[in-house]
Amino acid sequence: MKILIVDDSEVMRRIHKNTLVEQKIPEEVLREASDGVEAMKIAIAEEIDLFLVDWNMPNLDGLSFVKKLRDMGNYERTPIIMITSEAAKYNVIEAIQAGVTNYVVKPIRGTVLWDKIKPYLDEIGS
Amino acid sequence: MKAKYINPFLNATLDLFREFMGLDVKAGQPYILEDPQDLSDVSALIGLAGETSGAVVLSFDHDTALKVVSRLVGKNYPFLGAEVLDGVGELVNIIAGNAKKDLLDFRISISLPGVITGSSYRINWPKGVPVISIPFTSDVGDFRVNVSLKEIL
Repeated sequence: MKILIVDDSEVMRRIHKNTLVEQKIPEEVLREASDGVEAMKIAIAEEIDLFLVDWNMPNLDGLSFVKKLRDMGNYERTPIIMITSEAAKYNVIEAIQAGVTNYVVKPIRGTVLWDKIKPYLDEIGS
Repeated sequence: MKAKYINPFLNATLDLFREFMGLDVKAGQPYILEDPQDLSDVSALIGLAGETSGAVVLSFDHDTALKVVSRLVGKNYPFLGAEVLDGVGELVNIIAGNAKKDLLDFRISISLPGVITGSSYRINWPKGVPVISIPFTSDVGDFRVNVSLKEIL
């Protein structure tokens, strides 16, 4: 299993990483990218099972990254959780239409985020 | 500027600092900032575009910035390094992004945040639009959220 955390904020990547590590997810399965371009390179080089993706990022934003990822073929059904401060209803709709599986608005407590992530990990593990 | 354009930023800030970070935060009465360049040591800026234009600046002194980001991350930062500045940018990003859900008159896009430090920087606020300052007091120090939003309706 591999999880890719995509966020231009180092602090947010650290927070998400801490949430997963606290839930006994081994650090070796976690990958990090600071924008959509870097994330795309990792997604091509490795098989990722779950994506945690921010929206507003330089170079390639989260929404464009999700659209590209869904067009690749091998990531048609892979769960993508968008974790973003973008709280407007029209943003949520746009993200779901682009192929996001679940949408989470920041700030979010680690325990709440884990509740969102866990069902996907259970599915991957089964 | 109408209260309905200021309150979403006020409420998003209270939600973030009080409900999420558990700080004892109180909002004061918003006022027109006579000198829009009157800012504290550390300011995080985010631009608003789309069906209106504007900017949001979260400004606090050095010590408050350290304490707030330490609380956000759950790690004690002793000095104002890159990670703290990144965290300050994330705070204004959350405030602006969360405020959008209550700014129902416009469809808005937010820019990437930028953070500036020091004592002699200047911000190019949108021209002809007043800057409203929302003062906050907290148990880790005072801070302000300054908002300028063009009313196009």
